[in-house]
Amino acid sequence: MDTSHVLEVQSIHTFIGQFHILEGVTVTVPRGSITVLLGRNGAGKTTTLRSIMGLTPPLQGSITLNGESLIGLAPYRIAQMGVGYVPEHRAIFKDLTVRENLIIAQRSARDLERRSDLIFELFPDLAKFYHLPGGNLSGGQQQMLAIARALVPDNQLLLVDEPSEGLAPVIIEQLITAIRRLSEQVTVLLVEQNFRVASLLADRYVIIDDGQSVASGLMAELVHDEALIQKYLGVA
Amino acid sequence: MPQTRSTLMIVMALTLALLLFSFFTSRGDLGSFGTTILSGLFLGMLYFLVAAGLSIIFGLMDILNFAQGAYFMTGAYITFALFHLPAFQGVDANLRFPSAVAAATAVGALLGLLLERGLLRPLYARPIFQLVLTFGVAIIFGEALKAIWGTAAFSWSPINSFGIHQSGFEIFGRQFGTYRLFVIAVGLVLIVLIGLLLQRTRTGIIIRAGVEDSEMVQALGINVRAVFTMVFTLGCAVAAFGGAIAAPFLGANLGMGNAFLLPAIAVVVLGGLGSYMGTAIGSLLVGLAVAVVAKFSTEFLNQTVWSSITPMLLLILILLLRPSGLFGKESR
Amino acid sequence: MANESRLASWRRVVQENAPYLAIVIFLIVFPHLVGWITGDSPFGVGGRPRGQSVFWQSVLIEVFILTILTMSYNLIFGFTGVISFGHALFFGLGGYILGGALELVGLSPEVGLLAGVAVGVIVCGVLGFAMGLVTLRLRGVYFAIFTLAIAEMFFIYFGRLPLTNAEDGFSLNALPDLINPTRNRLTYYYLTLFFVVLTFVFIRRLMHSPTGKVMLAIRENEGRAQTIGFNTLRYKLLAISLSAMMASGAGMLHVILNKKVGPEILGVTYTVDPLLMTIIGGVGTFSGPIVGAAGLHLSERVLNRQFVIGPLTIDVGQNWSLILGLIFVLVVLVFPKGIIGTWTQWRTRRRSSIG
Repeated sequence: MDTSHVLEVQSIHTFIGQFHILEGVTVTVPRGSITVLLGRNGAGKTTTLRSIMGLTPPLQGSITLNGESLIGLAPYRIAQMGVGYVPEHRAIFKDLTVRENLIIAQRSARDLERRSDLIFELFPDLAKFYHLPGGNLSGGQQQMLAIARALVPDNQLLLVDEPSEGLAPVIIEQLITAIRRLSEQVTVLLVEQNFRVASLLADRYVIIDDGQSVASGLMAELVHDEALIQKYLGVA
Repeated sequence: MPQTRSTLMIVMALTLALLLFSFFTSRGDLGSFGTTILSGLFLGMLYFLVAAGLSIIFGLMDILNFAQGAYFMTGAYITFALFHLPAFQGVDANLRFPSAVAAATAVGALLGLLLERGLLRPLYARPIFQLVLTFGVAIIFGEALKAIWGTAAFSWSPINSFGIHQSGFEIFGRQFGTYRLFVIAVGLVLIVLIGLLLQRTRTGIIIRAGVEDSEMVQALGINVRAVFTMVFTLGCAVAAFGGAIAAPFLGANLGMGNAFLLPAIAVVVLGGLGSYMGTAIGSLLVGLAVAVVAKFSTEFLNQTVWSSITPMLLLILILLLRPSGLFGKESR
Repeated sequence: MANESRLASWRRVVQENAPYLAIVIFLIVFPHLVGWITGDSPFGVGGRPRGQSVFWQSVLIEVFILTILTMSYNLIFGFTGVISFGHALFFGLGGYILGGALELVGLSPEVGLLAGVAVGVIVCGVLGFAMGLVTLRLRGVYFAIFTLAIAEMFFIYFGRLPLTNAEDGFSLNALPDLINPTRNRLTYYYLTLFFVVLTFVFIRRLMHSPTGKVMLAIRENEGRAQTIGFNTLRYKLLAISLSAMMASGAGMLHVILNKKVGPEILGVTYTVDPLLMTIIGGVGTFSGPIVGAAGLHLSERVLNRQFVIGPLTIDVGQNWSLILGLIFVLVVLVFPKGIIGTWTQWRTRRRSSIG
C-alpha cells in the first residue's frame, strides 16, 4: 500500500442518466498537498469530485482513500471515512443558523468544541453571525461557512469545488489564506476555474478535458507551459 | 424578514375575516359563535395530525404520501375495534381507551415502516411510481378495512365510552363536549412538541437540513435513508394517532381517509410544501374555514354538502391564487 | 403503377397490423360464434336480451369501455408522463352531462343524444385544459393533487344534488332505439367496438406524429424538451384535453349500457381501474391498456366466486379490489413495465442473444 497518496482515482467512468460524463479520469493526491483539477466548463471536474464522494458513483475504475476502496459505498460512509465535501454554489443550509450548519457536520459530540478556535481564527465573521440563518450571510461568508463545515470533523481529505466563484477579489484573498492554513492539517483536492487562484494555491494539477484526465504534474511547471495552458484551458 | 411579516399579516387578516364572518352570521348568539370556533380548532388539530407527516415527508423525501389519510382511518378503526372488543369489556374504560390509542399508533408506525422500507425504498429512482404506489396503498388500506370490518360506519356508542367523552361544558348557553376540548389540547401539545423536536434536537436539525438539500446531508456523513425511514414511520404514527383520538367523536368509516387526506393536502399546500410553521398555521385556518362554512351552509343554505367540499374548494382557490403557499419558497 | 403501390402500401399496413386485425375480426364474429356454439341467438332470445351470446356481448362491451378509459389514461400517464388521480371526473362528468341532456332537459331522445355527446365532450376537454393550465406550470404532484380534489368534490356534490336524485341517481329511459342496449345489444356491441378501434388508431397515429414524439420527449425528460425549444406546457395541455374527451366518451358509453347515471361513475373506482390497468398492461405501450383492461375485467368476471383452499374460504368477488391492489403493488415493484413492456423486453433480449 502506497501511503504517500491519500487519494488514488484510477481511470473511472461515470454515467449520469445515459450520458457518459467521465471516460477515464485518473487523479492521485499526495498527502499534505493541494491538488487542483483544471479544465474547461463541462469537462467533468465537478463530476469527478461527486464520483469520489459517491454522489454519482462510477461504473468502472477504482477509487481508494489511504488504500481502502470507496467503490460501492454510500456517500455517508465515504464521508465518515474522512472525506469532507465543499460543493459548488456554496451549498450551505440557508434556513439553518451558522451554529446549526456546523453542528450538523459533527461526527462526535465534541467535534465543534475542539475545532471552534481554528474555525473562528480562520473565519472571524462566523463568530459574529453565529446565531443568524445561513441565508442571511454574504456570498463570501457563506463560502467560508461551507469550508468551516468541512473542518468540523477530523477529515483526511477535503474536496472543494470552485470556492472563488462569484466572489469579490478581497474575499478571494481571504479565502486563499484560509485554504493555505487549513492545508497544513488536511489534504485538499480543489476544482478552480480562476487560473490565478489555482496557481497561488495548488502544488499539483490534473487537467481534465472532455471527460478524460489528459495531463498532470507540478503547478510550478504548468505556469510556464504556455502550450498546454493554451490547448486545454484557453487562457493566456 | 419582511416576507414573513407580510405573510403573517395575510394569516391574521384571513383569521380575522373568518372570525368576523362567523360572528356576524351567528346573529349575536355568542354560544353558537363559540362552539363554531371550537369546532374549527378541533378539526384543525385533526388536520394537523395528518398534515404534519405529509408536509415533513414531502419536504424531506419529495414524496407526497397519498396514503396519509388511510393511516388516519386505520387508526380510528383499530381504536374503535379494540375499545369495543368483547374480551376487553372487563377492563376499566379509562385504561382501555389509552391502550387502544397506543396500540393504534403502534400499528400505524409499523405500517409506515413497512411501506417506506418495503415499497418506497426500491423506488427512489422512480418518483412517479412512488406517488402512484402511495395512492395504491391508500386503496389497499381501505379495501382491507372493508374486508375486515365491512362497509357499515361505526359510531361510538355513548354507553361504554370513556368518562371524559360524555361530559360537556357550557359556553354562553351552548354545550360543547369536553372530549373535543381534550383533543384540541392534545393537538396543541403536539404542535409544540414536534416544533421543539425540529428546532432543538440534532435530529431536528438534520431533518430541516434534509428538507433543503438531502444530498448535502449525506455528504456530511449522515445516513439520510435511515432518517427518511424514521420520519416516515413517525409521520404515519402521528396520523394513526390522530385517527385514534378522533374515533370517540367521529367513529370510524371508510370515507374518513379521503375526508382527512384532502383537507390535509389543502393545509400543506396553503402552508407551503415542507414548511412546518406553515402546516401548523394552515391546519388551524383550514379547520376554522371548514367549521365556519359548515355552520353557515347548514343554517342559511339548509345544505351540508358545502362543508364537505370546502377543503377542495380551498385547495382549488390556493392553487389558483398562491400555489407556493403562505410560507413556501418555490412550487415549480 | 400508382394502383400497384397503393396496393403494396395496403399490404404493408395489413402485415404490420396483422395481430390487431385478427383480434378485431375475431371480435366482430365473436357474438355469432358464441351464438352458433350455444344455440342462443346473438340478437337475444324471444325478442328479449337473453342468452349466452348476449351475456358475453355485455361483458365485452364493459371491457371495451374500460379499454377506452384506460387508453385515455395511458395517453397522459404512459405517453406524456403526467399523473392524474382524478380520471373518474371526466368519465363521470361525461356520463352526467349525457344523462342530463337525455332526461332532464326535455329534448327529444335523438337531439338529446347529439347535444349531450357534443356538450359533454367539449366540457370535459375544456375542464381538462383548464385544470392543466392552473397546475401544470407547477411541479408534477400539483396536477395529481388538483385532479384528486376536483374529482372528489364532484363525487360528493353529485352524491347530494337533488336535481340528479343524489345518491340514487336516475335512469335513462329516453334512449334512441338504435343505441338502446336492451333493444339492440348487438348494435351497441359493434358501436363500442368501433369506438375502441377509433381511439386506438387515433392514439397510435398521434404518437407516431411529430406531436406525439414531443409528448414522449416530455415523458423522458421535460427539461430537455424545453431546452430544445418546445413549449412543453402546450403539448401536455393537448394530451390532457384529448384524454379528458376520450374518458368522457367512455363514461357516456357506460351510462347508456347501464341505462343509469349515479355518483358511483365519479367514484374512485374509475380512477383506480384505468391506473391499475395501464400499469399492469404496460405503461406507455399501445396494446398495454387493451391487455390490462381485458385481463383484469375478464378475470374479475371469471373469478367472481368463492374459493376454498384447505381451511380457508376466499371470496374473490367480495375482495376483488383488495386483490387488485396487491397485484398492482407487486407489478409496480417487480414488473414496472407491465405485461406488454416486460414481454417486449424479454423478446428483444432473446432475439439479440440469438442474433
